[in-house]
Amino acid sequence: MQPPTATYCTPEGDSHAFTVVPDAPRYRTTDGTTSGPSAYVLQAGQIDRDRPSPPKLDAQGEPTALSRLRMHLTGLQDDINSFLTAEMQRAKNKKQKIDDTQEQRATGGSTAA
Amino acid sequence: MVNLNKVQPRSGGDHYLALGIEGSANKLGVGILKHPMLSQHKQGSLSHDCQAEILSNIRDTYITPPGEGFLPRDTARHHRNWVVRLVRRALVEAGIEDPRLLDVICFTKGPGMGAPLHSVVVAARTMSMLWDVPLVAVNHCIGHIEMGREITKAENPVVLYVSGGNTQVIAYSENRYRIFGETLDIAIGNCLDRFARTLKIPNDPSPGYNIEQLAKQCKNKDRLVELPYTVKGMDLSMSGILAHIDSLAKDLFRRNTKNYKLFDRETGKQLVTVEDLCYSLQEHLFAMLVEITERAMAHVNSNQVLIVGGVGCNVRLQQMMASMCQSRADGQVHATDERFCIDNGVMIAQAGLLQYRMGDIVKDFSETVVTQRFRTDEVYVSWRD
Repeated sequence: MQPPTATYCTPEGDSHAFTVVPDAPRYRTTDGTTSGPSAYVLQAGQIDRDRPSPPKLDAQGEPTALSRLRMHLTGLQDDINSFLTAEMQRAKNKKQKIDDTQEQRATGGSTAA
Repeated sequence: MVNLNKVQPRSGGDHYLALGIEGSANKLGVGILKHPMLSQHKQGSLSHDCQAEILSNIRDTYITPPGEGFLPRDTARHHRNWVVRLVRRALVEAGIEDPRLLDVICFTKGPGMGAPLHSVVVAARTMSMLWDVPLVAVNHCIGHIEMGREITKAENPVVLYVSGGNTQVIAYSENRYRIFGETLDIAIGNCLDRFARTLKIPNDPSPGYNIEQLAKQCKNKDRLVELPYTVKGMDLSMSGILAHIDSLAKDLFRRNTKNYKLFDRETGKQLVTVEDLCYSLQEHLFAMLVEITERAMAHVNSNQVLIVGGVGCNVRLQQMMASMCQSRADGQVHATDERFCIDNGVMIAQAGLLQYRMGDIVKDFSETVVTQRFRTDEVYVSWRD
């Protein structure tokens, strides 16, 4: 079975391809780094009993085909989440920069007292 | 004339098998249901008497710490990580070794919280492709109504649907479940849950249940704490009542002796307990529900009420509704216990199987997109005359 892939593209023509590196540790677990419980509920005292089940192993101790797919998708989802978080931060910084420029213009070119 | 035997069972046998998955809020339910294929279902509206056999009905609830509600992201994660285990258990309990023998897989399309609904539909699509079993998209509210009708055998009741996300008075007319009255703001279950958060009482097994238990312990049942009573025609509003009782509870905890509803003006002695507040809240809210339900019954000339939804298993609500019905000629209240009142997979299987037997299945995955808003009266009820 071919590992899954994903592609991100925008109306502006930007694109980014996501691929699985089968031997990398992030593609060999079903418990992703970005798909855990929210920090908010953990701070409120939540005990996490909703972890994903570990991969199922066959008689040779190797993950079954479906478990391998689950692990690959977990890593891929982490990649996508990290990428989108970075994109959002980039967009936020860009907006902040524009807002600052507009504010500077409105206050006559200087924000210093 | 309705023919519920329009579609033959896939196995070629004498029964239909449906698997239902529910996950529109914090409960994840998987249920398997069997309908025998009966000759009387060829003609006539017998959708309330399918002689359904419940083969399994498994539920797992995402429970948060006291004082906290459930967030979409974490609820979706709960459903995503438990759904396979629950489906597996449901199949074992139902004694189904080969899931390809299922006639249909039914899932909740909406209404509900977007992210949890999405977790469930992804599981339903995957199973449908793995086992080559057709899908049926089900309205959550219709699931409650059809399960209530099947369990109680109420043929044509006025339905009071009360849960954490919905508060509606419904009556059937011309292939639609028509909404006669509903909340204008928050649902009754949400009102109770949020008050439970203010009181910081546990969410296990459910906040509403724990309020009911506190209300039972009230020692001043003859002296209600006065709260707003907000029936507006056939509709009702509960956000103001919640704000009012929240402020009373906060004054009680702070020992604000200037609040003379709670403390004696002269001596400063506490007059009201948390149990009294829970009791008064229930009495006010349920009296409002009884009032609009009675008006709907008069309007459609019905003497049957069916209470469905998670709040429907509150015994005090059932008592108050029964008292109203007894004062009407031969009135009857139908209600179910927590297995069927609280969100569950079997109710989705029941409504979905009725749809399936009338030939309504998903033909393209684009029809499986879930929706947070999906009103009860949007569904064409083909299985009733």
